[in-house]
Amino acid sequence: MLEIKDLQKVYPNGTHALKGVSFNVTKGEFLVIIGLSGSGKSTLLRCVNRLHEPTSGSIVFEGEETTTKRGKELRSLRARIGMIFQHFNLIPRATVMTNVLSGTLSRTGIFASIMGNYSVEDKEKAKKYIAIVGLTGKENSRADNLSGGQQQRVAIARALMQNPKILLADEPVASLDPATSHSVMKYLKKINEELGVTVVCNLHFLSLVRQYAGRVVALKDGKLIYEGSPLEINEEWFQTIYGEDAVEVTIN
Amino acid sequence: MATQTERLPHEPTNMQIVRKTAQAFCLDVFLMAYVILVTHKIIYEKIILGLRYPDFNWNQPMTALGIGFLMAVALFFTKFSIGKAVFGLYEDDPEKTVLKQPYTLLGFLILILTIIAGIFISQISIREFLSESGLNGARRIFTALFHPNLDIFEPALFAAIETIYMAFIATIAALPIAFILGFFAARNLMADSRFFFSIYVLIRFCLNMTRSIEPLVWAIIFSVWVGIGPFAGMLALSLHSVSSLAKLYSEQIENISDGPIEAIKATGAHPIQVVWYGVVPQIVLPYLSFTIYRWDINVRMATVIGLVGGGGIGTMLMQYQGLAKWNEVGLLVLVIAAIVWVMDYSSSKIREAIK
Repeated sequence: MLEIKDLQKVYPNGTHALKGVSFNVTKGEFLVIIGLSGSGKSTLLRCVNRLHEPTSGSIVFEGEETTTKRGKELRSLRARIGMIFQHFNLIPRATVMTNVLSGTLSRTGIFASIMGNYSVEDKEKAKKYIAIVGLTGKENSRADNLSGGQQQRVAIARALMQNPKILLADEPVASLDPATSHSVMKYLKKINEELGVTVVCNLHFLSLVRQYAGRVVALKDGKLIYEGSPLEINEEWFQTIYGEDAVEVTIN
Repeated sequence: MATQTERLPHEPTNMQIVRKTAQAFCLDVFLMAYVILVTHKIIYEKIILGLRYPDFNWNQPMTALGIGFLMAVALFFTKFSIGKAVFGLYEDDPEKTVLKQPYTLLGFLILILTIIAGIFISQISIREFLSESGLNGARRIFTALFHPNLDIFEPALFAAIETIYMAFIATIAALPIAFILGFFAARNLMADSRFFFSIYVLIRFCLNMTRSIEPLVWAIIFSVWVGIGPFAGMLALSLHSVSSLAKLYSEQIENISDGPIEAIKATGAHPIQVVWYGVVPQIVLPYLSFTIYRWDINVRMATVIGLVGGGGIGTMLMQYQGLAKWNEVGLLVLVIAAIVWVMDYSSSKIREAIK
């Protein structure tokens, strides 16, 4: 459902973040992208929903070329792609409900959204997704008063409100403690399996990769160097991906 | 991403070194010309020769620049060049602190020269400060000020209320304009395209222009335009508030975190929705705090603006001062002090509460 071909990204400061990356994502899979910090993982995800503009190459999503879309078309593309972030990026000082409802902005009118007039179905749906991520009863709490793991679950609910075909997760557990990391990864796995949402996720920890990933691609210096099953990553591959001196750290 | 740049950011290119050298040299030329001019025009002609109105023609600064140029060239090969120090062209010497460098000595010399010239130009005179007639006058005024005339308390209070209202309306009128301009004056929102960036530069320029002219001057302009009275004062305060608030607002916008904006963009939201949900929640409270503070400033300024006919308690003060009725002036000063204190106290309390 997502075909990335020869994707290149050069930042204005001259950093060559992606040097011709190609791979496909099939519908319903849980794909994990691994690699060092600075290997281009975040850039890659942000090119898919065009938060960053690719320099060249093509990205085809559900049969449509995305790199040339502008204005309204671009917004409808983004609406079909959910995204969660390392630092959660919730709206500060707003309630959980408002944050979750902000996932519907693309189909709510500008004026209605400024007035806070969301449709009844959307409100029902928001309650349903808040329940799915296990935050029932917190609807009217301020999101920035929740713990890190809870905030990331609010972000997942917000992404689900978009009815996404695919969910991009940029280091979703990198600022969480080990126990919370597993809880958030379990929710991602749950929406992948139960709601059938394709997930593309950047991860650091190989132990999490082995446990949750269906398939793995590895980036190094902006190039794709590995593609395959998470269980096939042996010591040798590990050192190729993370460098000679790397030591594997596990989290349980 | 940024960690893998090919070139280290600290390593300056040749181009940068050439530019810095040119800037350093210009600074040296300017400083040397300044030293020559001050020494000649003030220290020599005014202080030593005692001339009241020394001759001036434009050849003098030009000659000073010429000599300054030659001196700067000479300085450039020594350790005395302030320009080279300012632009970091000297190699770091861990043995010597900045205070022990030769160029610091030159800097102190220029500072002392400026202080001497400044004392002379300000016509500082201890003799007049302590003269008998002067002290008597001061005593007369202070005694009157400490015996305020309570009979005019009522009109003074009404005038004070007029001042507070005027300041309030000036703030309220400035608010929406500053709110909108704040977005256009924020670099991070405007740097995307060349068109928006030129709007940003233009608006920044206009804001800086209006802000650098004191409200007192604006009040004089507006009192000619709409007539003497509170309206002129309000317009002056309003204009100055727009430019100050817009600048504070835009700086607040420049400091917000990109995260929520990225997240709202990623939901497929319209740019207006991105601003409303990604930017506005991050700035509402600081905005409120700035605005209340501005009202506080406006009340204080409104009393000053009254002096040039902007209405309110300032105008009243001006009238009694013109008639040399110091007891009445004493009461007005007390009322103003009370208002300023109350405004200052309540605005700081409110700002603390909404943090």
